[in-house]
Parts: sequence; C-alpha cells; structure tokens
Amino acid sequence: MNTSSTRATKSSGQAGMVWQTGGLRLFAWIRDHRRVSSESLRFVSTRIGTSLLVWLVVGIALALPAGLWLVQVNLAAMSAGWEGRPGLSVYFSPGTEQELLDDAKLTLGTLPGINTLELTTAEEALVEFRADAGLGGSLDDALTALSENPLPASIRARFDRGLDAPSLDRLIASAQGLDGVVEVVVEKTWLERLNELSNVVSRLGFMLGILFGLGAVLVTASSVRLAIESRLEELQVLKMVGASAGQIRRPFLYFGAMYGFGGGVVAAMLIALTLLVLEGPLQGLLGTYERALNLTGFDPIFLVVLLSVASVLGVLGAMLAARQRLSALEIF
Amino acid sequence: MTQIALQHVTKRFDNGHEALSDVSVGFEEGSMTFLTGHSGAGKSTFLKMLLAAETPTRGQVLVNGVDISSMSARKLPRYRQNLGVVFQDHHLLTQRSIFDNVAIVLRVIGMREREINRRVRAALQTVELLGKESLFPRNLSTGEQQRVGIARAIVNRPKILLADEPTGNLDPDLSRHIMNLFARFNQVGTTVIVASHDIALIEEMGVRILRLEQGRVVSDRGGEREDLSEDRGAGDHSAGDSVGMVE
Repeated sequence: MNTSSTRATKSSGQAGMVWQTGGLRLFAWIRDHRRVSSESLRFVSTRIGTSLLVWLVVGIALALPAGLWLVQVNLAAMSAGWEGRPGLSVYFSPGTEQELLDDAKLTLGTLPGINTLELTTAEEALVEFRADAGLGGSLDDALTALSENPLPASIRARFDRGLDAPSLDRLIASAQGLDGVVEVVVEKTWLERLNELSNVVSRLGFMLGILFGLGAVLVTASSVRLAIESRLEELQVLKMVGASAGQIRRPFLYFGAMYGFGGGVVAAMLIALTLLVLEGPLQGLLGTYERALNLTGFDPIFLVVLLSVASVLGVLGAMLAARQRLSALEIF
Repeated sequence: MTQIALQHVTKRFDNGHEALSDVSVGFEEGSMTFLTGHSGAGKSTFLKMLLAAETPTRGQVLVNGVDISSMSARKLPRYRQNLGVVFQDHHLLTQRSIFDNVAIVLRVIGMREREINRRVRAALQTVELLGKESLFPRNLSTGEQQRVGIARAIVNRPKILLADEPTGNLDPDLSRHIMNLFARFNQVGTTVIVASHDIALIEEMGVRILRLEQGRVVSDRGGEREDLSEDRGAGDHSAGDSVGMVE
C-alpha cells in the first residue's frame, strides 16, 4: 500500500466519531434529510405516471370530506346571518274584539321564553294577503263581495334562542288557554331545517373524512410498499453498512408526504372546479330566498389545512407500509 | 488483545439444520484469518454472526467484550458502521453510479459531500478504479465490480473487514490481486476475516487458516487456538465499550 493510502487508513477511527458528537450529529441529520428529500422528489417526478395516479386517487378521497366541510361551514354561516327565529302563531276566532287581542298579547308577553310579539288584526291580514298574493280579477272581486273578512287575527311570537322542549310545551298550553284562541301553530322555520341539515352534513363530513382519510392512508401505503419493494436491495445494503431504522425509513416517509401533498393539491383543484360548476345554480337557489351567494371557507387557511392534513395522511400511510415491510428486512 | 470472540456458538435454523455447532474461537485485533471449508460448512453463517445479521441459538459473539448478538437494534447500526463487508456477488446497486455505490457508506454516517468526494476517490484509487466513478456497475467487468464492492467496504476505514468468497467468480490472477488488497488493509491494523474455499490461494497468503466442517472448527493453523470459555476478560466489558471500538 502506498504511503498516502496508509495515512488515510490510519486516521480511519475518526469516521465513526461523526455520529458521536452532538453538534455534528445534528448537522449530519439535517444533511441526510436534505439529500433524501431531493432524491425522493426526483424519484416521484421520474415516475410521474404512477405519481399522478396516486395523487388523483388520494385527491378524490380527500375532496369529498373537504367539500362537505365547506358546505357545512357555509350552511352554518348562512344560518348565523339569518335573523329569523322559530316561534308560534296564535290564531283567534273571526270577530274577536281588539281588547281581547290586546289582553292576549299582554299575557303572552309575560310568559318566559317569548322574545318578540307581533299582533296582526284581521284587517291587516287581509291587506297583507292581497299584497302578497297580488290578487286581481275574479278572486279580488270575490273577497270584496264577502260580507265579512274571512281571515283571523293572529299573534306571531318569536322565541328566545335555545328554548327547550318543556318550556315550549308550557308556552303552547298557555297560548291555547287564552280567550278567543282557536289554534296554536308551532312554526319550524326553514332556518331550523337549515341548522339540522347543517348538523347532518357536519356528521356526514366527519364520517366520510374518517373513511376517506383511511382510504388515502391505504392508497399511500400501497404505493410506498411498491416503492420499498423496488428498492429492496438498496435497503439491504443500507442496513449492512450501518444505516439506522430511521435512515432506512426516511425516503419512504418523504414519498408518503409527497404523495399526500400532491393528493391535497388535486383535492383543492377538484373542490375549486366543483364550486365553479355549482356557482350558477346556487345563486339561482338562494335568489329564491332573497339571499345573495357568498361562499366562505375556500381560503388560504383552508388550503394550508387541507395540504397539511393530506401530507400527514401520506406520511401515516408510508409509516404503515414501512413498519410492515422494513421490520423484517434481512441483510442478504 | 482479543477483538472478536465466539464462545460456544451454535446456530440452528428453523428447519433444524445446525450451521454452527459449539464454535469457540478468537481473533486478535489487526489479525488476518481465512475461513475455509466446503460449501455448507458454516463459513457464511460464521460471517453473518459477526455482522449481527444472524443471532446464535446458543453462545455469545463478543466484539471488544460486548455481546453483539444481544445488542439492541438501536446500537447495531453504529456497530455495523465499523465493519466492511464484501460478498461474492458484490450486491452493488445497479441504478447507482460507482461513486454513489461507494459513497452510500459515508452518507449513512452523515459525512459532508466534500469529504465524501475525497474519500470515495481515495478508495477507488486504492482498488485502481479511479476514473470510472461515473460509470454504472453494468459497465464494469466482474473483477471490477468486485473491486467496487471492496472500495465500498474500506471507504469508511473499518476496524473489521469481512469477506465472503470474494474471489469466487474471479480468475487466479485477479483473485491474487484481491487477496493482496485484503493483506494491505490488514497491514494497517484492520482485522480481516475472509471466507474462501480457494485452498491454493489461501496457502500462498501464509496467514491463519480456520477450517470448518459441518459447523465445527476442525483445524486452526497459523494462529493459536484459545479456550475462550476461560476468557473472563472479554465478558467484563460494559456495553458502552462498543463505542470505544467504534472510535
């Protein structure tokens, strides 16, 4: 052996020390991450066909729960911005005197759970009816020809928020006991239905989130497992030369993160596309309720959360695959 | 000083085959030894024990006094970073360049690229392959591929060099060249253990020869057989001593 190589060999012991001093070890760890991340990016981009397929599957799996979450957020925003509240309408027999109506209004006003009261006399009801119905012609003539107003006087009561069922029962009983009352109708406003729909969507989104999230994890795990199989000999060499379990696993965690992140991007694109397609019909639907379309939630924060969740799910899938396959890895 | 000691090591596989039977043998630090014997004699299993790729069914494998067969999975990588291993079929990575095949060892220990570049070139120069670092294994002859495997084994300047039939596929001249390379590494303090059935070549080298037959050491020439069961000093080391060996 020549002199130079002899010298090189004699200083050999220092190589192992790189891992043994804290500072150097940290730098080595950072260097390894930097190298592995760029190698992984190259691996994913050179197998673009496979990568696109994984991104598409993961993206579709994530788009549905993420889209439902957006729907739920918008339903909640819609109901929060709505001033209507549930209430009841108390109908009086035709010809009930004004004094009796005023007494009834006063009595209802003292009951707990009532927020606002609005008295509509029979005459006011007729005027509103004519205005709302846009009557004309023969029906208008028929109403005019009647000897007396067919519409009853009524009191519309709006409840306090969060009124519970027993309190509601007590209110109904009290209203039914008033003089001249022929019917008490408890209203379920469309707002309540909206809230209930929002709850359904929220729970559906949660369940689908779990199921489709699991699907995304399994898809990533399967793809990472294939990547592990294709590099098995390299992993055996790595183990032989002293790579730690973390080092052997590291490239695949990056694959998982990249597959997940790409899937998140696809999910965001699918949601944006869906919103674009639905914008027109939604505007038309809300127009019938005299509401303007003001979609919220699809913002930078949503995108950051979506991409982060997607990346984490990808890493989880990779960990699952690596745990299964690498724990039994043998050196040749 | 005894660096490696096998104490009453038996290895029985799940199928009942006993690859090693009550083997007790020691290796001095900086020594060179040939393991010989017919196919199936237990040579590869012997080396795998030292690589901690196999664990003994009975007995202990001590390196610097530490039983590596019971070493935790967390400590094993650092132990292996101080071994150089050469296989008959090279196990080179076909998709990686010669440079990357050798550099993989140094990247595992987190060395800087500049130092990696220097060390890899030095290792390739030692095996006379400098200038071919950008080629791929498929571009090299079998002998050259074996030398890449050797460069990979020595690039981290290991304390122990293990070789399993490193000249199995090579012609006599190339085999002699490879063996001389091992002898050169041994001269600078590396403990070298080579499994080979090339008796003629082994005899030329004039070093210790351990002959295995059916998992037993049947002869030990050129080196002193030790009764390792009485080597109390080996067992007195704490687990932390393995770090000393690494350095």
